[in-house]
Amino acid sequence: MANEDITWDDPGALFQIEEPNAGPRGPARHPGRGIGIDLGTTHSLVAIAPHGAAPRELLDEQGRALLPSVVSYLEDAVEVGHGAAARRVEEPARVISSAKRFMGRGASDIDFAHPYRLHVEAESSVLRFDVGVDAGFEAGRSGSSRRVTPMEVSAEILRVLAARAEAELHEPVAGAVITVPAYFDDAQRQATKDAARIAGLEVYRLLAEPTAAALAYGLDRSVDGGGQGLFAIYDLGGGTFDISILRLRDGVFQVLATGGDSALGGDDFDRALAQHLLEVAGAPPSGQHDARQREEALVAARAAKEALTEAETVTVDLPRSGLVGHRLGRVELEALLEPIARRTVGPCRQALRDAGVRPSELRGVVLVGGSTRVPLVRRLVEATFKQPPLSDIDPDKVVAYGAAIQADILSGSAREGVTLLDVVPLSLGLETMGGIVEKIIPRNATIPIGARQVFTNYSEKQTAMVIHVVQGERELAADCRSLARFELKGLPRLPPSMARIEVSFQLDADALLTVSARELMTGIKQTVEVKPTYGLSDAEVDALVMESLDHAEEDYDARNLAEARVELGRVVLAVRTALHEVGHLGELLPPQERTAIEEALARAEQAMGPQGPQVHKAINAAREGLEKVSEPFARRRMERALQSGMSGKSLAEIESALADEERLAERRAGHEPEPLA
Amino acid sequence: MDHFGLLGLPRQYAIDRDALERAYLERAQAAHPDRFVGASSAEQRSAMERSASLNEGYRVLRDPVRRAEYLCRLAGIDVDSSEPEGGAPAMGQAFLMEMIERREAVEDARREGPSALDELRDGVEGELDDALDRAVSALQQGDSRRAAEALVERRYLQRLLDELDDEVER
Repeated sequence: MANEDITWDDPGALFQIEEPNAGPRGPARHPGRGIGIDLGTTHSLVAIAPHGAAPRELLDEQGRALLPSVVSYLEDAVEVGHGAAARRVEEPARVISSAKRFMGRGASDIDFAHPYRLHVEAESSVLRFDVGVDAGFEAGRSGSSRRVTPMEVSAEILRVLAARAEAELHEPVAGAVITVPAYFDDAQRQATKDAARIAGLEVYRLLAEPTAAALAYGLDRSVDGGGQGLFAIYDLGGGTFDISILRLRDGVFQVLATGGDSALGGDDFDRALAQHLLEVAGAPPSGQHDARQREEALVAARAAKEALTEAETVTVDLPRSGLVGHRLGRVELEALLEPIARRTVGPCRQALRDAGVRPSELRGVVLVGGSTRVPLVRRLVEATFKQPPLSDIDPDKVVAYGAAIQADILSGSAREGVTLLDVVPLSLGLETMGGIVEKIIPRNATIPIGARQVFTNYSEKQTAMVIHVVQGERELAADCRSLARFELKGLPRLPPSMARIEVSFQLDADALLTVSARELMTGIKQTVEVKPTYGLSDAEVDALVMESLDHAEEDYDARNLAEARVELGRVVLAVRTALHEVGHLGELLPPQERTAIEEALARAEQAMGPQGPQVHKAINAAREGLEKVSEPFARRRMERALQSGMSGKSLAEIESALADEERLAERRAGHEPEPLA
Repeated sequence: MDHFGLLGLPRQYAIDRDALERAYLERAQAAHPDRFVGASSAEQRSAMERSASLNEGYRVLRDPVRRAEYLCRLAGIDVDSSEPEGGAPAMGQAFLMEMIERREAVEDARREGPSALDELRDGVEGELDDALDRAVSALQQGDSRRAAEALVERRYLQRLLDELDDEVER
């Protein structure tokens, strides 16, 4: 379909054209060396299920499975997990929690309360936390304040979990399955993958959390129902809410519909209760509660909420705000939480409608996420789906278990598995004239999926066009998430509407977008790398990888050193063999030259010895010196080989004879040398 | 290869839903990129492309309207295109006038209240089904031109229905 209605903006900078088929081919299969990571808003954990084993979570030295998704940046020391969380009240501006809510988002998306100062660099839209700025430090990398992206914060968490897995496996991790909320858009998924890359972790697959939970429940193997049926997965985590309707049939788990809210979760419960507690405590003389008082209230709110799962009343203290011995009842708590929890009902009904499924047709409803422990939430789920939900597996661990099972399958273990057919949660569209969105891939389409669109020129002078890709359900591009703007360049100069540029959009099995373009008149194809509007460029990720890997430089040096030694060894062996075989023939090797070569060999022996950084440069210098002084000798040997009975032969024959000579030399390496001819 | 060929089904409107499901699930399983972890990038790319084709084929064929529109496209009439040649057939003056009148009827119903909207909605839903039925019987008689006309008509009605739904939700 011809589409002249594209918006012509200033050429954006967010594109690059790459060779088709370029790019890494991803992680390799190593049976049993796959790990499953649930990278959560409040907690993260890692599980393994090697070689078909039942999944199990991995514990830290204190025997704890859940790693708080909290990273502290103090005095240039980075701490992850419980230690970092413990510092939250004292140093709210240096301790980053819930970084997941900032992943792949722009400043305008952050419409929830948080204690951080955010920084957006002029040339990219990537958010950064100004860590420690409230303590009066200048922003930047100097001193003990710094700027970190949410991806770097997540990478710290991933690194700790990967190390835990390596200690358990006694082997390097081959690849990870990392779970993401089903509702995550392209930018959020890309950010998750970037975080893994920064952490040096290969990713087998990004897996939707609800799908992972369904795998963990073994719904595919349940006897009643014969491995068939419809299921709802209700996932209320710390910061996100997901609802998915899945169908199981013939060994395939198919997501029929998914919905949710990527900014709704248990954190909202905590904030609502904290706000309430601060109101009860009354405003301080300054009129506003400071960051430490708010953090104290949040910690107390979280504890009270958890205690009220079992207890009917709890006592709350906020010493910093002067609140002592406050009695809080479950009824009071539920009144505060109800309006928030109710926001999950609409998406549930929508997902059922999208899937064309009535609640009575469901064979099971699975609960995922710590927030589903709240009794009010369970009652709401039961009322919405007209059946009591399944909750036999710890809702905090079920996602990691499923990820571990899928990671084991993808690592190449002989394990019976199901195929997971996931969907894209939000429609993909293009901005057209007037800012209207034209949808090209509808939401809930099974991935991978592609779409094509043909564009044309509107004047002979036009040699480029800008395409704006958005994700969302709204009519106007401004109301959707901007994924990327990219420019197609080098359009042929043709009369208006004569050029035909076919642009292909491809969503892969991780729901990540790639774009390629083909000019139909010339057939020239280009791959257009699309970077999310709120994401890091490849170069930025590479820089972070180098910067953040503590031992990257040493590793790099070690590899250079090893390679340099091998190269030098090869040259030394070749020269020594030649000296042995024909070194005595004066016409091939004049005595002074022989002396120079022997000196160079001695220098090479010396260069082989030392260890340490930059040594590879000395080794390479020794190799180059040896190659240089022995080069005339090598050339004369070559000429002699060519003259001896080989004039008039084809180049192939000469080459084959030389190869024979090489093989002979190899054989001789182990024997006493004998002179040639 | 067209969607029917890809899924091993005869190229016709009548479809065995169960056969479609089985054919799709079997092929989607074999082609899924998860089966090509660690393979060369060329193999991974081709798995992705094959999966994408299967997913698209399944999406189109399982939906009665999209399936009918697709059959028209295979017969050379693309209802998604506005090109005079091979594009959606132009609708007659009388039909367009009628659609304008119906828009006005939506306005009136909105003033009258929810029950009037519901009544209008039921009527449009019935006409939608009728338009698809006409398209299907035209396809079965091999008259893709008439089928395309009925399908374009159906699109106008669908838009009207969506507007009514929006009104009801408001």
